[in-house]
Amino acid sequence: MTLVMVVDDDQDLAEMLGIVLTGAGIDVDLVSRGDEVMEVFRSNPPDLVLLDVMLPGLDGVEVCKLIRAESMVPIVMLSAKGDTQDIVAGLEAGADDYMVKPFKHPSELIARIRTRLRRTNADVKGSLTIGDLAINVTAHEVRRGAKLIALTRLEFDLLVALAKEPGRVFTRDSLLSEVWGYRHSTDTRLVNVHVQRLRSKVEHDPEHPTIVITVRGVGYKAGVVGVS
Amino acid sequence: MWPQRSPLAQSLAAKVIVSTVLLSLGVVWLTGSALYSQLSDGIKEVNLESSLADARSVFYNARYQFLLVEGASPPQIQVQVTDVIKSSTSLGTTEGAREIILLKIVSKGDDAKNGQEPNYSFASNGLLATTIPENLRSKISKDFDLSHQFAPLTYVTGKTIDALYVGQRVSIPGSGRYEMYLVFTLANQGATLDLVQNSLFLTGIVLLLLIALITWLVVRQVVRPVRDAARVASLFTEGDFTQRLQVESNDEIATLGNAFNEMATSIQAQISRLENLSQVQQRFVSDVSHELRTPLTTLRMASDVIYGHRENFDPVIARSAELLLAQIDRFEKLLQELLEVSRFDAEVAVLEPTDFEFIALVRRCVADLGVILDSPDSQISVVTPKTPVHIRADFRRVERIMRNLISNALDHSDGRPIEIECVETLTEVAVSVRDHGEGMEEVSLTRVFDRFWRADPSRARTRGGTGLGLSIALEDARLHNGELDAWGAPGDGANFVLTLPRIAGNEISGRPLPINPHKRSEVQIETI
Repeated sequence: MTLVMVVDDDQDLAEMLGIVLTGAGIDVDLVSRGDEVMEVFRSNPPDLVLLDVMLPGLDGVEVCKLIRAESMVPIVMLSAKGDTQDIVAGLEAGADDYMVKPFKHPSELIARIRTRLRRTNADVKGSLTIGDLAINVTAHEVRRGAKLIALTRLEFDLLVALAKEPGRVFTRDSLLSEVWGYRHSTDTRLVNVHVQRLRSKVEHDPEHPTIVITVRGVGYKAGVVGVS
Repeated sequence: MWPQRSPLAQSLAAKVIVSTVLLSLGVVWLTGSALYSQLSDGIKEVNLESSLADARSVFYNARYQFLLVEGASPPQIQVQVTDVIKSSTSLGTTEGAREIILLKIVSKGDDAKNGQEPNYSFASNGLLATTIPENLRSKISKDFDLSHQFAPLTYVTGKTIDALYVGQRVSIPGSGRYEMYLVFTLANQGATLDLVQNSLFLTGIVLLLLIALITWLVVRQVVRPVRDAARVASLFTEGDFTQRLQVESNDEIATLGNAFNEMATSIQAQISRLENLSQVQQRFVSDVSHELRTPLTTLRMASDVIYGHRENFDPVIARSAELLLAQIDRFEKLLQELLEVSRFDAEVAVLEPTDFEFIALVRRCVADLGVILDSPDSQISVVTPKTPVHIRADFRRVERIMRNLISNALDHSDGRPIEIECVETLTEVAVSVRDHGEGMEEVSLTRVFDRFWRADPSRARTRGGTGLGLSIALEDARLHNGELDAWGAPGDGANFVLTLPRIAGNEISGRPLPINPHKRSEVQIETI
């Protein structure tokens, strides 16, 4: 069974999240303090972390950084603040997605969790190239020459989505729907922040990207082999 | 700032100097004139006295000389007359030019005698008898006394000059009676008076200049601190509440400075108190909203779970579950809008502009709301330009404005058609949402954007609007530097027009769509 770690200091909300997730057939590990997360995380590694921003002990954004330092597990932030700075801070700390409390529907939360757990590019098999990178989709590996580049699952999915259709220009909206599973969200910050994170890992010079190329006014496309 | 006016109106110093100089000019003019007329009167008086005395002695001497030649032969008398004339003109040379006229009085009806007697008439410089005023002549012919008169003296060359005529009757032995005139030209007196006048004039001008200079020096002393105060006050107005006046002296200006500084301190204190209060207030609203979110999330999930099992419950509980969920929706929306309002109040609302296609957004808002709409006869028609309209704006906010306008129209349409129209110009996009519901009174138009305001309090909310929607829509529009206008008439529905700059933050130059839908035809729409 899938295990989701729910980190929230509000006992009632945590319990309710437990009920909803368990109802959807997901196992739940409840943690109520930020500074207890890593201990539980190491002893019982989850498939996904649902992380509140405001936590006693250790701030959610800090916890996110700690998890990212040792794992590529999907992280979905829960925030009671809709403010841009908090969301961007969470995404930059390594969160894959975020949800603002209160959620429109609990089913939306479950859908997001499932999207993050599922392989979004399950149809793609074998290997792809993008710029001077080789992607082994089956083995979930990205290499530059012999050097392995570690990516989170989301970053990997983003890279594969671009690489599997070289030449196509993806709008931010289409990336949101293909990689994040949003039907019509308009929050392009998600895309912007993750493209930046991806670039910082795969580009030679993130200021002058050759792998994930910006198409002004439209979106992004894959870099062509040999152009670098 | 004020409209541009003349420098005179703007400078206190200039004003004071000009009015002082003008007033002084009046005073100097008056005193100068008085002084001049006194001086000239005095000078004329003295001149007259001395001239008369002169003349008296000349006439006395003439009469005496003529008595001496009583009984002498005509040539001897002629010599004597010439002597008298010579001595008369040489006397008092300091008085300047003077003329002498000796004129024989011709007695009427005595022609024989006239013809025999020698005539010793004489006029210096060939003066003619006609230059002598008639008045004086008749006076002298009647009276033996000395007479005088001021009158112009005309030379044979035609030159005319002011002069004093003094005349008396004299007798020359063997020849009869003569009119004898001494004519004192007043050229010298005129020159003196001119000199006096010029001196007075020059003194006046110098005096005025000195007065202007003194006024300027004095005024500067007063005006400089006033200017300083004005500068500090305008800095203060611009929001620099730390500005204070420098008080160096102990005079009235210093009192003004101290009063100003006290006022500034008081205002600064009040403002910081109000700022604190409003910060506390906004902080509180924001905190409350945030704190409500976590329990609301739990509540929402719990009710969703209950709602999901409603078919297992008896109908009353099932319906309650539906109501619970609907009210939580409404509560949540209200909470979101309250939070948004508190952001606007705290002035922390930030525009996040992106490039997007406007018509697609409008259509999607209609579609999204149309799905929720359960009264099938409510029909929305949308008129837009054929080509896509790309704008740079905050997508989330524009979407929210459109949703608010459309759901407001649906709320008040009474099921009648709703028309949405988009137009674009080079610099703006505009969209109008027109309903044909019961409309609004004119009074309501000013309040329609007020928070929690209802056109008709007795009217039920069919769609559960929060009462904050239009208020937030207006703030959203203004954040873009756009505008949201409302029109309505009782029984004729309402019309809301959103005008946005194509690039958020630019100025909008007008209203491409009329706010009053009936004035359509009068407005030339400049579309591209």
